[in-house]
Amino acid sequence: MNAPHTQTEGYIGRRMARTEDTRLLTGKGVYVDDVGLPGMLQVAFHRSPIARGRIKTIDLSAAREIPGVYAVLIASDLARYKVDMLSFFLALPTVPVPVLAVDRVTYVGDPIAMVVAQDRYIAEDAAGLIVIEYEEQDPVVTLADAKHGSLVHPRTDSNVAAATGSDEVDEDLEALLAHAPHLVSIDLTHQRIAQSPMEPRGVVAAPQGSGELTVYLSCQGPQLAARWFAQAFGMPATSIRVISKDVGGSFGLKGQPWREEVAVVLAAQLLKRPLKWIEDRLENLTSANQAREQEIRLRVAFDNDGTLLASHADYGINNGAYPQGADSNIAVMMFLWAAHKLPVFGFHARGWYTNTVGLAAYRGPWALESLAREVLLDRAARKLGIDAIELRRRSLITRADQPCTTPMGLQLEDISPAECLDELLRHVDVAAFRVEQAEARKQGRYLGLGVATYIEPTAGSTGIAVLISESAHIRIEPTGKVSAVVSTHSQGHGTQTTMAQVIAERLGVLFEDVTVHEDDSSRGGYGSGAYGSRQAVAGGGACIRAADLLVDKIKLMAAHLLNAKPEEIFLRDSVIHVFGEKEQTVSLRDLADIAYGEPDRLPEGMDAGLEVQYRYRPPPITMTSAAHACIVEVDGDTGFVKIRRWVTSEDCGVMINPAVVEGQIAGGLAQAIGCVLMEEISYDPRGNPTAVTYKDYLLPSISDVPDFEYHHGASAPSKAEGGFRGVGEGGCIIGPPTLVNAIADALSPFGDIPLQLPLTPHKLLEVIEGRSMARPAPTQPKASTPADAPSEKPMSVAEAVVHEPSSALTPVPVVETAGIDGLWKFILSTPMGPQAFTGKLATSGNVVSGSFYFNMDEASFTGTINGNNLKWDLKVTKPMSITLKYDVQIQGDKLVGKVKMGIFGTAKLSGERV
Amino acid sequence: MKPAPFDYLVPSTIEEACAQLAEAGGGATLLAGGQTLMPLLALRMSQPFILIDINRIKALKGATRVDGGTRIGPMMRQNEVIADPTLARELPVLVTAAQHVGHHQTRNRGTIGGSIALGEPAAELPATAVALGASVEVRSTRGSRRIAATDLYLGPYATALEPEEMITAIHFPDWPDDSISLFREVAQRPGDFALVGLTGAVTVKDGCIARAGIAWFGMGPTPIRARQVEAALLGQPIADLDLAGLAELAVADTAPFDDLHATAEYRRTVGRRIFARTLGERLNRNGP
Repeated sequence: MNAPHTQTEGYIGRRMARTEDTRLLTGKGVYVDDVGLPGMLQVAFHRSPIARGRIKTIDLSAAREIPGVYAVLIASDLARYKVDMLSFFLALPTVPVPVLAVDRVTYVGDPIAMVVAQDRYIAEDAAGLIVIEYEEQDPVVTLADAKHGSLVHPRTDSNVAAATGSDEVDEDLEALLAHAPHLVSIDLTHQRIAQSPMEPRGVVAAPQGSGELTVYLSCQGPQLAARWFAQAFGMPATSIRVISKDVGGSFGLKGQPWREEVAVVLAAQLLKRPLKWIEDRLENLTSANQAREQEIRLRVAFDNDGTLLASHADYGINNGAYPQGADSNIAVMMFLWAAHKLPVFGFHARGWYTNTVGLAAYRGPWALESLAREVLLDRAARKLGIDAIELRRRSLITRADQPCTTPMGLQLEDISPAECLDELLRHVDVAAFRVEQAEARKQGRYLGLGVATYIEPTAGSTGIAVLISESAHIRIEPTGKVSAVVSTHSQGHGTQTTMAQVIAERLGVLFEDVTVHEDDSSRGGYGSGAYGSRQAVAGGGACIRAADLLVDKIKLMAAHLLNAKPEEIFLRDSVIHVFGEKEQTVSLRDLADIAYGEPDRLPEGMDAGLEVQYRYRPPPITMTSAAHACIVEVDGDTGFVKIRRWVTSEDCGVMINPAVVEGQIAGGLAQAIGCVLMEEISYDPRGNPTAVTYKDYLLPSISDVPDFEYHHGASAPSKAEGGFRGVGEGGCIIGPPTLVNAIADALSPFGDIPLQLPLTPHKLLEVIEGRSMARPAPTQPKASTPADAPSEKPMSVAEAVVHEPSSALTPVPVVETAGIDGLWKFILSTPMGPQAFTGKLATSGNVVSGSFYFNMDEASFTGTINGNNLKWDLKVTKPMSITLKYDVQIQGDKLVGKVKMGIFGTAKLSGERV
Repeated sequence: MKPAPFDYLVPSTIEEACAQLAEAGGGATLLAGGQTLMPLLALRMSQPFILIDINRIKALKGATRVDGGTRIGPMMRQNEVIADPTLARELPVLVTAAQHVGHHQTRNRGTIGGSIALGEPAAELPATAVALGASVEVRSTRGSRRIAATDLYLGPYATALEPEEMITAIHFPDWPDDSISLFREVAQRPGDFALVGLTGAVTVKDGCIARAGIAWFGMGPTPIRARQVEAALLGQPIADLDLAGLAELAVADTAPFDDLHATAEYRRTVGRRIFARTLGERLNRNGP
């Protein structure tokens, strides 16, 4: 007999109202600024007014004289604490990040001093009285500045912060592109974006007793934040407790603690007082880390029938001065063609340092891949005379094509963009629209239809140590109610509702009886919180497994007490039933009473209590797919875009709560609309931010965001527990190309639209008018985009292709190599940050052999010696199968060289004797 | 974003407020609805020594009919302007303009006098005052005077008001009941300041334009009265208007500039378009 395991059915998949909403909507949320502690003081920062310069003198005397000022601190006051400002991956940055500026400032808003005062008013009064003399220097502001200007950071050899893909040109790929029947190329730039959470950053730090610390933090997950603090400060994790009850949005900004939060925590320890800092909106728009600011030149070769032949991408992203992890955004390249039949793809990607605020994540950090690809496909369709939807169908990988492996080495099992597109087109009558469009054009009205597809890796659990697994601890309390401590974390995600739905259904209890806690690092186990669209899949899976284990125990216990067999027991609505001739029941509360209070009545050997902890690791990647369509009207008189209709079709697997799924899609699309039409953080040539309030940084408002139509018909369960797929970032990824394509379609009678976001009314009216409306300035400012800067050196064309060419090396003089035998400490600069490991080398004639030791793992290799040049290959399997080709020079008592990492380009290696 | 220290005074009469202004000798700022001033204080872009809160002065509230026009108290909230039956009848374009000021929540506090005194060049109410030929009544301890709206604005946020003066009323002259309102605002989002805005009214007698009051906002350092097109329209038969030619004249007096959101040329181009579109639509709909 297969008794149903899930006995209270209908919670998973139900459109339930969110438990947390009543509290949040009636002003009863608890955000960091709602925290007040006895003796707490307030912090305000004094920040650099210039983008780049040397600090000559700092005069704090006037600030210190203000009554109510408790302390004024600068970097030297905090220097007693050693802090490693780690990346999100907990890696050390190549360029160390100071907590407060030391000797030099690197962007407008760089924090130099902090005032601690009895209230924020006084703190700001005093911060305004700090006098700093600078020796100002010309800043490096744009990507073009970074490539050609002076070094942002001393002791670096270029402004390249991170690199993926080699500088060498791949002749084979270039030949394919050059000789194809059709070559379509776009130059696209994405503006800089401020994540703009409704609640800016904030922290309350309270030293507790001897060396313990409680930190109230607006963040994406208290467990990860506690782990970050512990590792950055070299403190035991148990002595740091991070509490994060309600968070008003993050979108990537609060992924890890950063300079201001760290400064406040250090100052609290120094002063032995609780301190509060709440970032205000001016600070948030000028000093908090930001995102995007990317450029891409994408080239694609097509056959006459629209078949994809080859492609190359050249990509740059502004990392600012201190990125939260230097990044060349490898995921852009990983997913650009992951869902398409494309035989050859090469790329060259660079992250660049500039004198601007640092790069942080933003919902769908790699979203540019979909924007560039989908916009290019529409351009190609027009050029080749093939319908844009048909062109997509010819290259999309369908369910029938899978399983398969992409040229980038990605193993696909169940992506479904083609099937989502089919479902989408059941709800969008393209032919009828084309008739309406033609009629409208006769009246001088410009309607356009845009379509896009995409896939998204969600809930990744491979390769990134902080993102592997999630924990759920479920307790049936002695009262019969259910408490769950889950390592998810909501910044508005509604996980207190969705996780409770999962637990209630799998346990067979009433939804109202389940309370989910996720706000305190001292409760439950490690988990990253909200990252990479993972909470439904990873957190939901953990809840299912934990609930199932608990059900197993309940069945054994109830069977024993009720004199039945475990398989005859089931739970429904918090009541335990026994199948059989005469049905017996017992309430969960009575059972819990016995479990905790009378363990002698339990089966022989069974532990007291009713609680289970489970750590779930989902499959390596769970793919979500979607296709969207959007219809716009562009006003021919003003260039304004009106969104008339937006239809979505996605495969997000089994939905826990369709309302939450649709809320995630809608929120992402609202941000997409902002990106395409209005949001822009810009700088003047001196590095001064020019949109510093919401009067100038334009977020879409309710009147700019239409009602979206949602279709879930193409969904299929994933292989993850529960069949869920992530849906957190998708709208922000697929939204921009959908909208850009609709605008391009509307204005196609006038030619191509510019691909420099945002597409403001001004830019679109220029297309309609067929003329520039720029100011007739005598000196045009030097443009930063490859499209507008033909005089620049040509974008270097990379070889980093799937087919690995060999590189020739010149012979070098013979040196004594036996001297390198022994133990070495190596540092490899990977696209995910520098990685340190130890290794052992041994030489014999012209053969070098050795082993590397990574975190209790070992890899051995054998290679050749030629003069002072060493070469060996090392095969690794994580995060994907790849052969690393080492090419190392002996330089005195050091080893320097590079490692070719297949399609991921070349990384620098340095070694020192242990 | 916390204001610098200031003294806070709450007068209950105009005389008291004028005395306080005089005593402050230019160091005081009046607080009306606070929808612009409070953010400026928070950003420390405005740091007055004294804030004089005029919200409790009853004589500054309400709208009344006076000989030949309507007298509006400067402390009338923008939402009160929208809801006032007298203003709806006498000054429909003022009501339309007020509906475009900020958002419902800000209009509950924001006042007509505060907006007119601030002189934001892209704001709706100063331009409407200019278009309709309004004037402001101002007081100080030295007495009172009237300033025509067209003479009030000197530059962005710069007015002919002396530091010790306060607006005590805004006078709008009567326009005939069958006047035709002209209003069109192009803003990036509803509630934003205009990229380009057009406001005013025309009257038609015997098929010809008999009176025209038209002004632009967002088209220069101050509200800009479109004098050339007003003159050209007078006496023109509405059945036979050269809209393109008039649109060209309409922007002839403007002096728009480039900013983050649009260039001067965009503003001029869109200005011509919305002038022709608005005038054409309104005359067809309301013409004889």
